[in-house]
Amino acid sequence: MRFQDAAQDARAITYAAIQAEPVVAQTAGLLADATQAQLVLARAVMNGETLDPDGWRTMFPTLFGPTAEPSDRDRSEAILAASLAIADRGDQTRNQLRGALVESLTSELLGRRVGATDVRRERRILFDGVRAEIHPYDVTVERSGAAEAYDCKWGARGINADVLHQLEDARANAEAEDEVLRVALVVFDAELSCRVRLERQTAPHDRSGLVALESMGSLSG
Amino acid sequence: MDDLNTVGDLARDALAAYEDLLSLAEDIEDEWTYVNDLAAAWQERVGELINEQGSESATALEEAAISRAVDEIGRISDPHRAIDWLSTFPQIVLVTLGQRS
Repeated sequence: MRFQDAAQDARAITYAAIQAEPVVAQTAGLLADATQAQLVLARAVMNGETLDPDGWRTMFPTLFGPTAEPSDRDRSEAILAASLAIADRGDQTRNQLRGALVESLTSELLGRRVGATDVRRERRILFDGVRAEIHPYDVTVERSGAAEAYDCKWGARGINADVLHQLEDARANAEAEDEVLRVALVVFDAELSCRVRLERQTAPHDRSGLVALESMGSLSG
Repeated sequence: MDDLNTVGDLARDALAAYEDLLSLAEDIEDEWTYVNDLAAAWQERVGELINEQGSESATALEEAAISRAVDEIGRISDPHRAIDWLSTFPQIVLVTLGQRS
């Protein structure tokens, strides 16, 4: 098993520019230490129709009301501002930024556990005698004997057969080479919604992990 | 919302608005079964909240929060975005009413 950079085609170059937008890393840094309620706020704002910050503050009294701890409130304000900056883009760019955000957040959290140098983005995984997948894995942890591969989704609806097959194939191919490769989906959505989506999938996923909004912190520890 | 003064009242008001969201999401025919399964799962979760805390008095802040969330999903016209909100909206309801201090 070995890892390789994805081909630098037009899609990859365009997407790299999205990934490099400062708001992506800034928001990921805020969300890496967020509470579950703050993650729900971020998801709602970046899915939302309105850009009125007061409306969002009203919608989340546990985060912005008088009982909120000042330090939590400050982080909620920062998350609100960053999320609105992403929401305030055209639909296509917003969608791309949200996808890049989930990848960046995943990288940030994994880096806290394994060190940033072992965490890579947009990598293919190659196995002897196996035709390589065209699509790269969003985030990988490249450590001998303890490798990991993640596919990142903004919402549960992004879970589909192709994604599940790609993860399971990599895990199985690694196992055939006596290598360990942990594979998982990271979904910026509630676990309940992901479970409902997965129940409808016939593609193998029993040995693929799921990291949802409630368990995002498990990536770092 | 003048007559809404318990957690149960607010949650039921949210569920009524959720029905309209579900109707919009059903426009995506390929996802019809998924959106209905998804909605059923979340309706059950909110129903559990009603059973457990429904008789508790709601605060003015909670009433305003649910009213604002209902208003937000009322603005949605894109059925794809409605599917996103079938998951997001009940999470807001549960954060607001299910994590009361």
